[in-house]
Amino acid sequence: MDDTHDARPTDFLPLTPVAFEILLALADEDRHGYAVMRSIEERTDGAMSLHAGTLYRAIGRLVDAGLLSEVEDRPTPEEDDERRRYYAVTPLGRRVAAAESARLESQVRSARARRLLGGSGSAG
Amino acid sequence: MRGPGPGGPRVLRLSVQVYRLLLRIVYPARFRQRHGEEMVRLFRDRGRDALRSGGTVGMLGHWAGAFRDVVMNGLAERMAGGRWLSGGGGPRDESTTGGGGMGAVWRDGVYAFKALRKAPGFVAVAVLTLALGIGANTAIFSVVRGVLLRPLPYPEPDRLVLVWGEMPARGVENFPASPPELEDYREMSTVFEGLAGFFTFPQPLTGDAEPQQIMTAGVTTNFLSVLGVEPLLGRDFVRSEGDPVEPGVQPGDPGFAPIAAILSHGLWRQRFGADPGVLGRVVELGGGPAEIVGVMPPGFRLLTPEASSAAEDVDAWFAMRVDFENAVRGNVFLDVVGRLRPGVTVAQAQDEMDGIAAEFRRLYELSRATGFRVEVVSLHEDVTEHVRPVLQALLGAVGFVLLIACANVSNLLLVRASTRERELAVRAAMGGSRGRLVRQLLGESLMLAGLGAVVGLAVAQLAIRLLLAFQPGNLPRIESVSMDGTVLGFTALATLVAAVLFGVLPSLRASRPELASSLKDRGRTGSGSGGRALRNGAVVAEVALCLVLLIGSGLMVRSFVALQRTDPGFEPEGVLTFDLTLPFGRYPEIDSRTEFPMRLQERLAALPGVTAVSAAFPLPLDDRQFNGRWGLEDALADPQAFRQADYHVVLPGFFETMETRILEGRDFTHAENVDSAAVVVVDRRLAETAFPGGSAVGERILVRASSPEPQWVEIVGVVEDQRHTSLIAPGRETVYFTDRFIGSFGSLTWAVRTAGDPLASVPGVRRVLGEIDPLVPLADVKPMAAFVDLHRAPTRFALVLIGVFGGVALFLAAVGLYGVLAYTVRQRAGEIGVRMALGARSGRIVALVVRQGLALGLVGVLVGLGAALVSTRLMASLLVGVEPDDPLTFGGIALLFLAVAGVASWIPARRAARTDPASALRAD
Repeated sequence: MDDTHDARPTDFLPLTPVAFEILLALADEDRHGYAVMRSIEERTDGAMSLHAGTLYRAIGRLVDAGLLSEVEDRPTPEEDDERRRYYAVTPLGRRVAAAESARLESQVRSARARRLLGGSGSAG
Repeated sequence: MRGPGPGGPRVLRLSVQVYRLLLRIVYPARFRQRHGEEMVRLFRDRGRDALRSGGTVGMLGHWAGAFRDVVMNGLAERMAGGRWLSGGGGPRDESTTGGGGMGAVWRDGVYAFKALRKAPGFVAVAVLTLALGIGANTAIFSVVRGVLLRPLPYPEPDRLVLVWGEMPARGVENFPASPPELEDYREMSTVFEGLAGFFTFPQPLTGDAEPQQIMTAGVTTNFLSVLGVEPLLGRDFVRSEGDPVEPGVQPGDPGFAPIAAILSHGLWRQRFGADPGVLGRVVELGGGPAEIVGVMPPGFRLLTPEASSAAEDVDAWFAMRVDFENAVRGNVFLDVVGRLRPGVTVAQAQDEMDGIAAEFRRLYELSRATGFRVEVVSLHEDVTEHVRPVLQALLGAVGFVLLIACANVSNLLLVRASTRERELAVRAAMGGSRGRLVRQLLGESLMLAGLGAVVGLAVAQLAIRLLLAFQPGNLPRIESVSMDGTVLGFTALATLVAAVLFGVLPSLRASRPELASSLKDRGRTGSGSGGRALRNGAVVAEVALCLVLLIGSGLMVRSFVALQRTDPGFEPEGVLTFDLTLPFGRYPEIDSRTEFPMRLQERLAALPGVTAVSAAFPLPLDDRQFNGRWGLEDALADPQAFRQADYHVVLPGFFETMETRILEGRDFTHAENVDSAAVVVVDRRLAETAFPGGSAVGERILVRASSPEPQWVEIVGVVEDQRHTSLIAPGRETVYFTDRFIGSFGSLTWAVRTAGDPLASVPGVRRVLGEIDPLVPLADVKPMAAFVDLHRAPTRFALVLIGVFGGVALFLAAVGLYGVLAYTVRQRAGEIGVRMALGARSGRIVALVVRQGLALGLVGVLVGLGAALVSTRLMASLLVGVEPDDPLTFGGIALLFLAVAGVASWIPARRAARTDPASALRAD
């Protein structure tokens, strides 16, 4: 996984839930670890609550795989003026996240088609 | 840092420390370097959230999640395996097993974790037990470290010593020096880099603001340089500031008033608003002008041993202007602190001072008569001497608690091992080496101990807070008690030792299953006699250790009861006390100093609610001393016939105010508070010693109070003994004088007896004092009961702690005994079933099991009694009114323990007796 230049997004699928959530949390803005965790917690209504070990292990792998990049250490506007490391989604990361979203969407479509899931807007 | 409450930031700081430690243990360095700091930040941020929303409980919840997270991910990271990004094993999936390069040790660790996860109940009991043991040890160790072990806060503290005089012929130790003696020490000795003298007393500080009574220390000008400290602002004293104004000047003389003073940081902030411009300002100290030349750094003080009469909390130091050459040799008031030259040992210094003392004995009659000696003691040793026994006893007690906890967990593991025998046998049969099995089982122990340590640190944090709340007020440097790196190191060590203690035997035992028998169907009877002996041994050890602790607690209880029953010889309830010191400058004439208290007494007595008023110096139990001597006719010829006495200066009405019984004769009258009346009141002890069998009233004794020459005084009254210096032991013979007879030195502690709450009379006292002289500061206002309480505090401290540890120990031992019996009952279900099927009544079954439990308990009790006989002797100095081998305590605790053993056995016995014979036989 060291050479990521020619990697196709689909090579990374399926993503683990944690990896996908991290990509989602970073989709709209760069964040530091604590902000990523808070964003995931808010978005999932607390259903997914990460501790440092899980979060940074996943972040480390995503960075190694070239889906995330470490942006810089900079002071946070809130809490205190301590410097923290910010992460950003790379273009490859965006494509992978999109591919995973599409994969999940097709699964959801299948689930709806088989009446496992209700709701409108389904293809069927 | 913002926090939810006063304790929040500390909990958080400590948690972060523990978390860092955990990261270091669990994670590979590479990962830690890359993410460690960010992980710590995240942990801290989330911890802060948890504290805000849920307090300490929330923090514990946070820890539970974080601990699991760190251990699981750390282990997985060590394995550095495979396919996480795609496919099954996500980052949270700790059970990932694939991948090479994983160390066998870590594989064992993972195995241990998985094994433990299957037995949450067992883990919970073991972890809590260990947490109690480790937490108690960590808490007490942090106190021991802060109070006993940490070096004193001065540069090269090992070189600081105190130099005391001793007069063996009079039974006096830890005696201060007179200025000429200090001068001699300086000139005759070679081992010291410097010798400084100091003494403390309260003085009024007046001038720019409200008059205020402050604690001052008169010091030689080299005092700070001997200690090796420098003022934060300004400068140290210079030599000329200690020059006497006139030859022969002594403390108490008007010319003694200082000209230069250095403020404590506290006084500087409180009275001068931390104004740096305070340097060079002139204040009125003790009635004369003194220039402020410096301000000390925060926290600076000279720690003094209990034997010293010098106060530790000093507000200002001044260079005393004593004429060292011409001072009176017998007027001893200076504590002497010295700094040894580099490389000189205390013993070498002692040798040299022995020679100087011999020279003194050769030169001076008084030194010869009293057998004068000089003692050199390390400052650190002297300061901590009086608390060492309590702390050592406590350290011993918590050590026992940890051993008991280990015995308990060891037992749990033995029982667990016997139920896992089949699993282990299978693994052995499939080629698992014995070493590997032992390693895995030890891995489980380590993990249990580690979890116990993390919970234990929380226990310790709580325990330290309780300790500080209960601390007796005489623990030196208690404020420096905290959990630092050394304490965490100690905890880690205790944890490791505990893991080895409770883990090694069970894992050796369990790794040697009898293969054939275990693999047969009836695997669960496979616990051989060796296992039973180990389990029984552990229980016996537990019971014995626990008994020792309980006997210790029993002795403390008896001591405390004895202390509560001690009659101090006065009634402390309902009395308000406060200090008044007249500024010498405003009251230079002795008549004015005699008149002031008499007038104040009259005015205070007229206040509503006040039933009696008097004053004394010193007041009983106020930790001040006025040493004197008394003698009879024979002492005129032979000065050695003088005996040590406590002197007290009192105003008329003192005994009525204190509700001390007058046994014979009467109190002083106001008319006797004059120069010409040579009358005293003595206590019963003196009367019985001096005039056994007869009346002391009307008799005369010799005293040396207001003049260097012995003086005859007449006894007008005999009163009940008062406890003056300690509640624990009766004090010395006591002589009470009138204020004027001693010379009305203008410093008295007042006692106001009131009908209701003594503190309610404070405003009245303040008003009256303001009307008589608003420039006399009112100081140290507190109820008399506080003195008594303070003197009970050390015993209460030891009682509460040893009692708590004893209780924990009893609980653990009972659980251990219960556990072993419950297990035996399960093991013997078949046999019991057979017995019942053959007609044994349930009563007999109960008796069978209880007998076994009591037998184990009895062996433990016997071993414990022996151990207690040896070990309680070590706590003799903590005991009051009870011997360390008190038979009542020993017998009572042994019986209590057997009763507990009976109950702990009865519960499983009942269960055994309810066994349904048919099902028991079928199951077998």
